[in-house]
Amino acid sequence: MAEFLQQFVNGLAVGGIYALIALGYTMVYGVLKLINFAHGDLFTIGAYLGLTLLTSFGLADRVGPGVAVLLLVVMVMGFVAVIGIILERVAYRPLRNSPRLSAVVSALGASIFFQNAVMLIYGARFRVYPQNLLPKISLNLLGIYIPLVKILVLVVCVIMMVGLYLFIQRTTIGTAIRAAAIDQEAARLVGINVDGVITLVFIIGPALGGLAGLMVGILYGQIKFTMGWIYGLKAFTAAILGGIGNIPGAMLGGLILGVVEALGSAYISIAWKDAIAFCVLILILVVKPTGLLGERVAEKV
Amino acid sequence: MKFNRKRFYLAAVPIFFLVPLILNPYWVDVLNSIGLYALLGLSLNLIVGYAGLFNLGHAAFYAVGAYTSAILNTTYHIPILLLLPVAGLAAGIFALIVARPIIHLRGDYLCIVTIGVGEIVRIALINDVFGITGGANGIFGIARPRIFGMVIRTPHQFFYLIWLFVAITVFLFYRLEDSRVGRALNYIREDEMAAEACGINVAHYKLISFVVGATWAGMAGNIFAAKMTIISPESFSFWESVLMFTLIILGGAGSIEGVLLGAFLIIGLPEIFRELSNARMLFFGAAMIAMMIFRPEGLIPPVPKKYRVFSGTDRGETT
Amino acid sequence: MRRFSWIVTFLAVLVFIFGSVISSTAGEIKVGLMGPMTGAWASEGQEMKQVLELLVEETNNQGGVNGQKIKLIVEDDGSDPRTAALAAQRLVTQGIVGVIGTYGSSVTEATQNIYDEAKVIQIANGSTAIRLTEKGLKYFFRTCPRDDEQARVAVKAIKNLGFHTIAILHDNTTYAKGLAEEAKRLLEKDDTVKIVFFDALTPGEQDYTAILTKLKGANPDAVFFTGYYPEAGLLLRQKKEMGWDVPFIGGDATNNPDLTKIAGADAAAGFYFVSAPLPKDLPGEEAKKFLEKFAKKYGNPPNSIYSVLAGDGFRVLVKAIEVTKSTDPDVLADYLHNKLKDFPGLTGKISFNEKGDRVGEVYRVYRVNEKGEFILLP
Repeated sequence: MAEFLQQFVNGLAVGGIYALIALGYTMVYGVLKLINFAHGDLFTIGAYLGLTLLTSFGLADRVGPGVAVLLLVVMVMGFVAVIGIILERVAYRPLRNSPRLSAVVSALGASIFFQNAVMLIYGARFRVYPQNLLPKISLNLLGIYIPLVKILVLVVCVIMMVGLYLFIQRTTIGTAIRAAAIDQEAARLVGINVDGVITLVFIIGPALGGLAGLMVGILYGQIKFTMGWIYGLKAFTAAILGGIGNIPGAMLGGLILGVVEALGSAYISIAWKDAIAFCVLILILVVKPTGLLGERVAEKV
Repeated sequence: MKFNRKRFYLAAVPIFFLVPLILNPYWVDVLNSIGLYALLGLSLNLIVGYAGLFNLGHAAFYAVGAYTSAILNTTYHIPILLLLPVAGLAAGIFALIVARPIIHLRGDYLCIVTIGVGEIVRIALINDVFGITGGANGIFGIARPRIFGMVIRTPHQFFYLIWLFVAITVFLFYRLEDSRVGRALNYIREDEMAAEACGINVAHYKLISFVVGATWAGMAGNIFAAKMTIISPESFSFWESVLMFTLIILGGAGSIEGVLLGAFLIIGLPEIFRELSNARMLFFGAAMIAMMIFRPEGLIPPVPKKYRVFSGTDRGETT
Repeated sequence: MRRFSWIVTFLAVLVFIFGSVISSTAGEIKVGLMGPMTGAWASEGQEMKQVLELLVEETNNQGGVNGQKIKLIVEDDGSDPRTAALAAQRLVTQGIVGVIGTYGSSVTEATQNIYDEAKVIQIANGSTAIRLTEKGLKYFFRTCPRDDEQARVAVKAIKNLGFHTIAILHDNTTYAKGLAEEAKRLLEKDDTVKIVFFDALTPGEQDYTAILTKLKGANPDAVFFTGYYPEAGLLLRQKKEMGWDVPFIGGDATNNPDLTKIAGADAAAGFYFVSAPLPKDLPGEEAKKFLEKFAKKYGNPPNSIYSVLAGDGFRVLVKAIEVTKSTDPDVLADYLHNKLKDFPGLTGKISFNEKGDRVGEVYRVYRVNEKGEFILLP
């Protein structure tokens, strides 16, 4: 039982990261109906930027680790958001009225571009975050070990999710986003600045991706230019699992994916872990074709 | 001056088949790689271009074909080219089993499911499923193909084998476009609901396109296995599916010429960018974005079909 | 008209292609390097390139080989068999005498036939799968030892360290799986050590706590991880964070200073690994000089043992050309197979057997100390 709970907790911690990246996927998808394949690489950029800012200014020594991490969060989210806006302007906006799959290819191109740009700037080797940035405290509950950092990650995820959900549901801007997500033309007709909404979405989504990258860097210490590809794919899976375009769905999808992976490797086979996760995904989609929380919408033709 | 497509191709094709005579083995091998991806692209084009299904797991069917050929060749010593239809059949049956329950999924949901299928196949291959795929090592020692006692070995010889198959494929797919199935698919892609309303069984035709596309990918897998003589799971990664997908969108989904040009660019460009060394994939990514912005419909989008209207026959006009 | 411009572009590309084919110069000895410059193992390939560029520069500054300069031609295999096959074709058409590389057995295997048919000497640096040299290829050599040799040393070390139960974890790559299975086979021969766990992780991920929890459940005396240093580093770090105190043993792919960086010195301490000796542990002057020069040129010592092994491949090839005064592949292959004895390589003495495998005891056992340094065990 203790082992089961331990694995469950392990899964939640991984799932939290997936969920955070999936939130960004889902935001962009909700409004643009575009699978932003470059999202995983924005995540990588976040991780690398965090490292640069941390080491080049000696931030941790000057203001103490806690404040440094907070400062980092703000700076990384800001920088990655800027990259996100540029990405949208350059690679997606010219294709907004083109066939949807063209934008997907543009996104794949952007992904390759970012990945190789990171490799050329930072080198192909693994980069490592300073050790002991955050205190390594772990709780030990009934033989289940829970590191404090991982709880922190989960808390951040939940705060982001709830905040985003409230923002979308309760504020005027959020309403505009929802309107643009349902029908861009109609939204334009009632005076919503759709371009502004899309820019905003490309601020929030990439910022969340960058934040996730930074958290992975702090949590696991090791980052590589290719890591966005794997995380991106996992997060995309999570977003679809929960019902893409749906904010609580992304969160739920991420956590479920993480837990399925952990339990799958614990009780079936480690080597087949990803295959198990995909099988679960396919089964869920066969039963519920729009994901767990996705709504049935008529196909746009 | 009007550009005459037919005349252009009549001149270009013989020239193309003479080109290897003046190229060194490296560039001929690049052309072979292009040919292989042209085959894969054409097969995926049936699914993405004609039926409008978002498939990002095509490498799975390619893998099934390649592994079927490799396993039968290395254990029972059946000549690899004789296995061409077997590889196609295996991939087709696999596609039928996989696609039946998922064919009704909406665009992006279908996309992730096909990615999932591709990943499951790859993981199964790595984990040496049923003890026959050789795990990460893959399968080696596949016999070289023979035609009339001649062993096909050099890039030049493979060039003619591969591109002959490409030519046959292009011919058959052109015929397919004008067939009942082709017209039905065209209708589905343009307006699925209207097609359904006109009595076209949408799911049925989608499934046909999916299975035929997978069958062709399986045959491409057979040729790949014959050419490499060793196959391993990393040749069938998600990245391969992405390449195939990219090349048809870049060239022009639904257009055979477009797919061929797309294969030239997607496989050819990284080879040309080799001079740039470490930065070559950076330029490749940028080129992908630029080409999409420059030609959002693809480089050579499909030309709308025109059919002559006969009174009293079942041939209607579609555009 | 648009279409016309496309045809023009296409023709321009073709001209570019021919231009690059024709522009090759004579009067030099061309040596190829095939390595992963992009893709998952780009770090390895780029260091291989650094090592070879340094050695080529050095050789040319000393007047070259037999009065001829050496020209290095680098091709990217992208860590992928199909790209590698193209890279090999490309190298072969450029008139190289020999090629160094590459990293990864399956990638190497995809190119073996191409080099063999073109009669080009191939000296692999990071391809340890047993079967590569079992095919009777005349022109294929490798400076890295084989998996069976490594497994033998690892199993010996496991027994010497007095472990009774062991968990074996690999990562499903050709290399790691081969090593894991060979070690398993050797351990199952007698009953002194019991295998309580055998499975594979997915490389490239970052959270291995699920695997560690499962491993802990099997309660082994030690864990033998046959994969690569990034995963090894993470495993050590997360094991430490879990508060689980079990010794880990690694294969030679864990021999990389980045291991300590990723794990942190305190988590890496106590980690054993089997590897060819590090250059710093070689008494030979060659290695010391080489390390100094490398550090001077690039600012840090080489990270990967495989890049140093690539350097050895190059030096052996140059030696063969120098002694035989020939670039004929048959003469060179004959020299390497039969006449080269105890060449003072950077990684120890080098001789090849008739299969093209390196002979002699290469592997040593290392332990990571509290400062994170790799200490050679006697």
